[in-house]
Amino acid sequence: MIKLANITKIYPPDITALHKVNLHIKPGEFISIVGQSGTGKTTLVKLLISEEKADQGKIIVGGWDITAIGQAEIPILRRQIGVVFQDFKLLHKKTLFENVAFALQVCGERQRKINSIVPQVLKIVGLENKMHRYPLEVSGGEQQRAVIARALVHRPKILLADEPTGNLDSINADEIIEILQKINKFGTTVVLVTHNREVVNKLRKRVITIENGLIVGDQAVGKYIL
Amino acid sequence: MFLLSFLRVIKFSLQDIGRNIWLSLITVVIITLALFSVNLLLTVKILTSATVSAVKEKVDVSLYLKAEAPENLILALKSQISNLNSVKQIDYVSKEAAMESFRVKHKNNPEVLRALLELGKNPLSPSLIIKPRDINNYEELIASLNKIDNDIIESRNFDDHKAILAKINNIAEKANQTGLFVSSLFVLITILVVYNAVRVAIFTHKREIGIMKLVGASTWFIRAPFLISGLIYALLGVLLIIIVIYPFLNLIQPYLATFFSGFEVNLLAYYNGNFLLIFGLEFLAASLVNVLASLIAVGKYSKV
Repeated sequence: MIKLANITKIYPPDITALHKVNLHIKPGEFISIVGQSGTGKTTLVKLLISEEKADQGKIIVGGWDITAIGQAEIPILRRQIGVVFQDFKLLHKKTLFENVAFALQVCGERQRKINSIVPQVLKIVGLENKMHRYPLEVSGGEQQRAVIARALVHRPKILLADEPTGNLDSINADEIIEILQKINKFGTTVVLVTHNREVVNKLRKRVITIENGLIVGDQAVGKYIL
Repeated sequence: MFLLSFLRVIKFSLQDIGRNIWLSLITVVIITLALFSVNLLLTVKILTSATVSAVKEKVDVSLYLKAEAPENLILALKSQISNLNSVKQIDYVSKEAAMESFRVKHKNNPEVLRALLELGKNPLSPSLIIKPRDINNYEELIASLNKIDNDIIESRNFDDHKAILAKINNIAEKANQTGLFVSSLFVLITILVVYNAVRVAIFTHKREIGIMKLVGASTWFIRAPFLISGLIYALLGVLLIIIVIYPFLNLIQPYLATFFSGFEVNLLAYYNGNFLLIFGLEFLAASLVNVLASLIAVGKYSKV
């Protein structure tokens, strides 16, 4: 599903975020990428959605070599990957319904289909009663659930979650992880980037540990070891 | 699909204007103020050229005739002169008409009128008032008039007119040059103000533009609502300036009429006669600046 071969990313002037990283994530996997702040976890996510370009190596997502992806193809790639961010990244001037619908509207989906799918997805994340509220009118946990709904709405094969619990209390964090697990059970590959020890240890799934831009651990049923 | 996306883009644009109502209002007000200054400049330009052409219109040449010249010879001379190419109009002012005009002119000056009475006869000469067809061919007219050899002509002294004419042409040229410079400066400032207003409006959407890109929106899908908003702002700005400028013109017209009494200066008529041209061009210019600013600003903030 995702293959990184010898990936190196250097930020000017000479900060090596990732150094010759090799990683293979199979379809339907739930993997956690852990490591302390500034070790290159978020860079990895940015490379997968082409927000950054690798300096060396090859990235393949769903059989598509995106190493040298063109500017016009980036939106198409991003429509196939669901992304959840720590800071939610919701459009404040749109309601939760409109935020989720927006991900389908950019693909040119018909309004009738949008009107039928969006409430269903919002129901999955437990927001069916708050879909017409604006992001700033709901809690952080609810905002994050709306982000997950937006990431899921075009049924992506891959869901990238970059510190999705970073801004949440433990109860909300647990709820978000439960939703991610549910999504994974439906067959979506989930890549969870986190430095939340408790979350990783409770999951008992594959754990990749990154330190100073290098993969220093890859356990099939792992724990947060740093 | 294109039509669907296009309709969506229009919907997003209207939604954005409505949900950022204060920012939208400020942008429209700035465009309106900018257009107001452009219209003010246009008004000044109209008044300047109207004044200059009115003054030019007043330039004429007087040919003074002998007091005892018979009427039939005067009329023959008038006809001869009116056949000249450089003559636009020629009027015959008889001794009596000149006297009447003199009396009217000095009706508030009893000493002059008393002196006239004591004189006991009409001391004024009949004259022919000649208006040149084209003020620039004034020299040609003078040369033609000098060539006419007729005994009834008493005097033909045109030198003063030449000096006045040179002065008028000089002032008109300077007014045009200054007007052009001030206009260019003003238009440049206006463009910069509107350009910045649109950029600031888009800057507040910087975060949203980034999010749209991350969700997979194409550059066109992000840009188009801003472009349409820009066009709507321009349209609203022009509509607002139409609503503002007409009462303004109505307000100043009586003062202008008094100030330029005797001249044909009607701003309202000018605006009515050139409505589509003036406001159409203003809409095009405002749209162009808005679209340009939108393209640059969105391009700058959508590099994600």
